[in-house]
Amino acid sequence: MATNVQQVAVSKPGASSGSQGNASEYVVRVPNDPLKKYSMIKFASGTDIDFLKLSHGKVKMERENNLRQYKTIYNLDAMPKFGAGSEYGREQKEEARRKKYGINIKKYNPNDQPWLMKVGDGKDCKRYKGVREGTISENTSYYIFTKCADGAFEAFPIEEWYNFQPVVKYKYLNSEEAEEEFSRRDKTMNLFSIMVRKRIKNEEETEEKPEDKKDKKKDKKSLILTDMEDWMETEDEEEEEEEAEEGAEKKPKKEKKEEKTKRRKNAKINADDEAVEESDEGDFDDRELDYISDSGSESSLDEKAKNDKYDDQGVDQEKGLKKLIDSEEESSEEENKEEDEEDEEEEAEKEAQSKKEKKKKKDSKENNKEAGGESDSSSSSSDSDDSDIDKNEDKFSSVLFMQEKKRSSRPNTPTVEKLEIKTEPKSEGGIKRKIEAEEGGAEKKVRTESPAPSLKTSASSSSISSSGEITEEAIRHYLTRRPMTAKELVQKFKAKKSQMSNEQLTQKIGQLLKKINPGRKYIKGVMYLSLEKTE
Amino acid sequence: MSQPPEEESARPLRDVDLRAAERGVWLVKVPKYLSEKWKRASGKGEVGKLKIISTKIPGAQPEVTFSMNEAQAQVQVPGRGTATPKEHKFKLTGVGNQNLVVFSENKGEGTTAAEITERIAIEGKVIQRAECQPVVDKSYMQLKKRHVEDSNKPKREIKQITGVVTTYKPVSNHAANIEHEKKIKEGGKRIRDERDVVTNKLFEIFEKHQYYNIQDLVRLTNQPVVSRYGLFNR
Repeated sequence: MATNVQQVAVSKPGASSGSQGNASEYVVRVPNDPLKKYSMIKFASGTDIDFLKLSHGKVKMERENNLRQYKTIYNLDAMPKFGAGSEYGREQKEEARRKKYGINIKKYNPNDQPWLMKVGDGKDCKRYKGVREGTISENTSYYIFTKCADGAFEAFPIEEWYNFQPVVKYKYLNSEEAEEEFSRRDKTMNLFSIMVRKRIKNEEETEEKPEDKKDKKKDKKSLILTDMEDWMETEDEEEEEEEAEEGAEKKPKKEKKEEKTKRRKNAKINADDEAVEESDEGDFDDRELDYISDSGSESSLDEKAKNDKYDDQGVDQEKGLKKLIDSEEESSEEENKEEDEEDEEEEAEKEAQSKKEKKKKKDSKENNKEAGGESDSSSSSSDSDDSDIDKNEDKFSSVLFMQEKKRSSRPNTPTVEKLEIKTEPKSEGGIKRKIEAEEGGAEKKVRTESPAPSLKTSASSSSISSSGEITEEAIRHYLTRRPMTAKELVQKFKAKKSQMSNEQLTQKIGQLLKKINPGRKYIKGVMYLSLEKTE
Repeated sequence: MSQPPEEESARPLRDVDLRAAERGVWLVKVPKYLSEKWKRASGKGEVGKLKIISTKIPGAQPEVTFSMNEAQAQVQVPGRGTATPKEHKFKLTGVGNQNLVVFSENKGEGTTAAEITERIAIEGKVIQRAECQPVVDKSYMQLKKRHVEDSNKPKREIKQITGVVTTYKPVSNHAANIEHEKKIKEGGKRIRDERDVVTNKLFEIFEKHQYYNIQDLVRLTNQPVVSRYGLFNR
């Protein structure tokens, strides 16, 4: 009591010395309710959430259940506990091992997991995730003072702090992609296209993934006793898959084929016990080709070699072309980007389609011819954009309907081009420059084609056309491949012989046509010239 | 854990009680020694009195002092003396632009062991932050001094032993060994059962797991090791 008086005495001078104010005293209670546990929610700055304003008043909260993730991290559930593949007493063994080495795994505490909060109803609900904040310091504790109805204060200790942040469902770029886009920020006009491009890339990747997963699943099903079985299985799978899947991507198939060939090679080496010379006389016999036979060789090696050649040239082509294009000043970068997008998409389509054709070996040869012809036709076309697209299609394009697709895409590109090319004289000059540049490219292409023995026929045909002469042979060659209008023929030769004037060209062509006397077809009101295939 | 299968799936969200969401509460930072005393509050839990003096100067914070009860002050905290200062001042600060909300979990009585229902309720929104600071006086100084001394003591000490350690005397036969010998005598040697019987047993065993250690098999089938091997080879 004495001390109490003292305390009051102490406080009084304080009250009197300062300015007079209303002093009110409240009793402080610290109730000790073991069942109730208080925690603090800290919302990230900027998230405006006010429980007062919630009109519908629906808030839900629950702990996140990360037990599965915890188990996968520590490999607790990796092996089956009973049945096939299980060991007797594995768990005990692992525990004993852990203790022996003193490896301590943090126990999974469900009360430490983050909170998930959902505010609102149905579709327009906002979700938040609250992560526990460690280090509420050991030297201080936080209490909540609330005023009770009877005028007293109640103090509750706060045991945990959670930082709540809104859950993001939209896709965003990761840091690498963000840096890339940042470097291009002055040049991109259309920010929407950034995410669209990303989505397209993702779709391509996801197409590959399910295939790989399929492979793995098939392997794991049966009990594999020897490696031979493994190989047999995967070979069977490959055949099945080739037949079943049509729109498959190129990469996984290529890998399988490589594996197949590697295995065969390995099998050969393993058969010999002694050292094998690097190349014997009869080793590469199967790679030789009969010039007479049209069917080509049966071994998959050849196909693969062909594929490789196709690949190399295709890639070089692209590189060479892109350099040419980029060196031109008039085309804006945006244009190129759009082309790139289109090119990528079309390439993907084409590769998918070309996969079908490669199984039929005859068609592969025809592809060469058509591809060679295509390249020439593309070089002569006056639209620079079209030629870009055509060249990128290059040797893989196989069938008419692919050409139809191209034709449909063509009307788009000229209009786009017109919008973006600034002045006319510049454009004309540019087109001419491009044609000349592409001529050089076409010739290059022709040269790279010719050394390949398997593309001999195309080499012969392209050599005809590349010489630039308007010969009867050349016209025959074009017409046998596909029916063309007279205009197209003119266009083709225009590129080759730019010295001649239009009139001269048409005259000469007309003469030759009379000689050849091709059949005339009327397709959609336009007269087409064609020659029956002699072979 | 009393619940045998641990759930791995996401649990459904629980409703939150929003009745007290409008309350404005104070968040007070309290020193450790004080909170320890408060935790041992007895009876209704009264620990002291809060005195709020609102000054007439506009803009100034009201003065808040907390004074501890006599009874409360005498509460013994094990490991520390009772000398704690009785007067504390609350230093008030604003919340800033932080959005702080208090919620509580109410663990149910748990009549059914299957599900412990917890009720989550929002207790209020923080409108004021405060720090509880002791008015510095002699007792506080002593308290701090003791604090520092305690924390500076080394955790391990060297003591001198007076007696003789008697735990490691040589023993004629260790306890474990004795037990083992007893077990063998009682259990008897492992008898070879009929071949069919043993193979049947093996089949049963292998239905449970695929891989077994030979010692485990020996234990399970109670057969001597040599005959076990023989069985396998056939």
